[in-house]
Amino acid sequence: MKFILLTVLTALLVLIVNPFLPYWAVMILLAILAAAVGNKAGGAFFAGGLGMGLAWMGQSVYISSVTGSQLPEKMSELMGLGDEITLFAITGVLGFFLGAFSALAGSLFRKLLKRKPDNIYGR
Amino acid sequence: MKYVSFLVVLALTIALAIAVSRPFGAVPPLAPLLDPNHGFWQNSISEDRLAEDELVLNKLSNEVKVIYDENLIPHIFATDQADLYRAQGYITAKHRLWQMEFQTMAAAGRISEIVGPLAIELDRMTRRKGLAYGAEKGMEFIRENDPESYLLLEAYADGVNQYIDQLSDARLPVEYKILNYRPEHWSAFKSILLLKYMTDMLVGDRDLEYSNLRKILGDVMLDKLYSEYPDGVEPIIECGHKWDFKPLPVTRPDSIAYPDDQLVVAPLPQPEEGTGSNNWAVSGSKTKSGNPILANDPHLSLNLPSLWYSMQLTTPQHSVKGATLPGALGVISGFNNHIAWGVTNATRDTRDWYKITFQDKSRKAYRYADKWRQTTFRIEEIKVKGEKAFLDTVVYTHYGPVVYDKTFNSKRQDVNFALKWNVHEGSNEQKTFLLLNSAKDHDDYNLALDNFTAPAQNFVFASRDGDIAMRIQGKFPLKWRGQGKFFMDGADPGMEWQGYIPNEQNASTLNPSRGFVSSANQHPTDSTYPYYVFDNSYEFYRNRRLNSRLREMNSITVEDMQGLQFDDYYLHAAEALPTMLDLLGSEYENDADAKKYLALLKEWDFYADPNQKAPTLFYLWWRKTYSQIWKELSGNPAPVVLPSYYQTVLFMKDEPSGAVFDLKNTPEMETAAVHVKQGFIEMLADMKKWETEEGDFSWANYKKTTIQHLVPQFKSFSVENVYTGGGSGILNATSARHGASWRMVVELGTEVKAYGIYPGGQSGNPGSKYYSNFIQKWANGEYLDFNQRTQDQKEGVLFQTILN
Repeated sequence: MKFILLTVLTALLVLIVNPFLPYWAVMILLAILAAAVGNKAGGAFFAGGLGMGLAWMGQSVYISSVTGSQLPEKMSELMGLGDEITLFAITGVLGFFLGAFSALAGSLFRKLLKRKPDNIYGR
Repeated sequence: MKYVSFLVVLALTIALAIAVSRPFGAVPPLAPLLDPNHGFWQNSISEDRLAEDELVLNKLSNEVKVIYDENLIPHIFATDQADLYRAQGYITAKHRLWQMEFQTMAAAGRISEIVGPLAIELDRMTRRKGLAYGAEKGMEFIRENDPESYLLLEAYADGVNQYIDQLSDARLPVEYKILNYRPEHWSAFKSILLLKYMTDMLVGDRDLEYSNLRKILGDVMLDKLYSEYPDGVEPIIECGHKWDFKPLPVTRPDSIAYPDDQLVVAPLPQPEEGTGSNNWAVSGSKTKSGNPILANDPHLSLNLPSLWYSMQLTTPQHSVKGATLPGALGVISGFNNHIAWGVTNATRDTRDWYKITFQDKSRKAYRYADKWRQTTFRIEEIKVKGEKAFLDTVVYTHYGPVVYDKTFNSKRQDVNFALKWNVHEGSNEQKTFLLLNSAKDHDDYNLALDNFTAPAQNFVFASRDGDIAMRIQGKFPLKWRGQGKFFMDGADPGMEWQGYIPNEQNASTLNPSRGFVSSANQHPTDSTYPYYVFDNSYEFYRNRRLNSRLREMNSITVEDMQGLQFDDYYLHAAEALPTMLDLLGSEYENDADAKKYLALLKEWDFYADPNQKAPTLFYLWWRKTYSQIWKELSGNPAPVVLPSYYQTVLFMKDEPSGAVFDLKNTPEMETAAVHVKQGFIEMLADMKKWETEEGDFSWANYKKTTIQHLVPQFKSFSVENVYTGGGSGILNATSARHGASWRMVVELGTEVKAYGIYPGGQSGNPGSKYYSNFIQKWANGEYLDFNQRTQDQKEGVLFQTILN
């Protein structure tokens, strides 16, 4: 459940905040979000990655279908990528890694904070 | 352990975030580019989707209304001039910011800042020609002589800057994102610089080539092959025009010693071939409606974003519409409610080279008469992306900058030449356009033109009063016959320009009896004009076609004039081909391919329409023949120019067995027929190759007209293989990379009616649907309705914005 929650919250965060903030600010907020939700490391990595990756890919597909612009095609040609499908994929993959590492860092940070009670009550 | 894994992941995350924010070689930073909210994806959105009802523009005295028609042409309604030009700056920047900045970076010799060390030599060349130096002089001149225009230039700059200051990453033009830099502030200086850049684009000289030719051929042969005034020239100002002024005296020195070295160095980059223009006006006596009609189509390099940007600029005092140059104030070629005007390039040799003899290696002084005169040093600091700045010292003499010297262009011999060019003298071209925009009659037009120095232009004019006029305006040096054709000795004061032709003695005509005025980059006047006029690049074909059509046409309509702008008649072919076929004889009638091609050529009507096949055959055959004829000249190690096509055809007709056709280093005596046959054989070989590799050789498919993005490497932002006719030397001058960059036809009746088109679109954004949407119409010879709009006109409005 927490996995889906973080995925959805990440995607929402990107959709709402990213228009006003650069990607690195989104990464910081995403780390905080992941720390707050509290997934395990692996879950956070994939949930954060999927959330941001899907959001970025979704946004790029959305913009391109609504505008009907040939720019994605032109950019792919310029970058030597063949067709624009590759460009959607690359945008998604880049979003995935940015989201995944941010969420992972957030999740591991939460673990650090949790350490104190562990030391008091555990061994 | 937890600390370690956290720190490792944190470090990895930060490293990733940094990695995607930086460029790798030529690859731009990935995240800012691909981020769908800020990166290039945002540039997919066209302007109509981003329409704003209101925008903040500070320092306006009243609100300004901007109404866009369905082609995204803004119509700006302001209450005074300062508001108008502030808004023009803002709106132009909104659609064309990258282009206007890129062009001025090029003009300032600052491309290295954007692309790195590979542009250093280009930047040095630009600076050594003194473009920025000229713009600084221009600034001083305007500040002192015309503070009013200066304020308007500053208002425009402020408008651009207010746009830049509020610009979000999302709206940043995509070229900045790819090349990874950001716009800097605009200034009045940059507007002036842009106009100097136009001069650089349009003005050339062939002093180096002519100096070499004189050495190779001698004076007699030079005058024969490169006649300054060949038979059949039709000047701009009608033949027989009476010059009602007393010319200033020009004294020719008794003895002229030219520097006599043959120079094996690359000449200064020249305006590209195919750069030229047509303009004309017909008086009411020749039109169906009885109203004058004016037409203008400047031919320049075909680029995207288009060089031109259309606008209507309206205040309660005046209302003007037409083509603007992004970065310059007002309309450059257009019309208001009283007059219309247009420009073509008035090439004339206004750039001369003087040999400088330095006193010693320090280059602090040079010989002038029997004295030593001091030089000044100008240090050019060229900033280079990713490297430290390059410092270049340029020596200035009283003539101008020493362009090539021991530090620049290593191949050249040990000679130093100073460039004298009127672009280095203070002038105020901007004033001309500001005044023309609100001009009401022929007197206003003349007053406006008095401010224009360079690049010299043929200004065509028509007014609702019924006047038509043409004036060749520039600041032309007074020269004795032959002066400035060759390199001159800078130590000899007798070689100096002896002043300038006064404005009122520049060639002009008003309401000539033939009922039309016209220009197409040909000789300005007949030989009775009392001043020496010379240029290598006068055109021989478009003007004669144009004039013969205008002479025979009557009851002219706007559609006729549009048709004439799109006229594909290949006069050069019509004059050369029959002679070539004659000289070829019947030798090739048994070769199947040759027979096929000859049949096409023989039945050709001489129109270079896109679907015709014969123009390709002629074009190839001619080029091969031409290079055969002059191959000894062009094979010379020193740079030269070749005789014109026109002169070459005259020789082929008048003296086909003449000595001009003989190649000296062969034992045989060649004639024109030998070259024509050799050209034909080579054409057959080329055609065979073409037909195997490409198949179809119809004209449009062969010439492959391309409208190229300003960064040629951005190929997908260009539009290639536009299906359209015409070519160099044809009224529809659309060749592979040059052509009508703007077509305008205006009828000056009680209601002024106007039509215009250019090969591009209003938006500079390659992702916008308004980026290249005019190209198809332009290629078909169609026009957009360019009538002026009023504020309350409802139909055809895309959206409107209030600036406040």
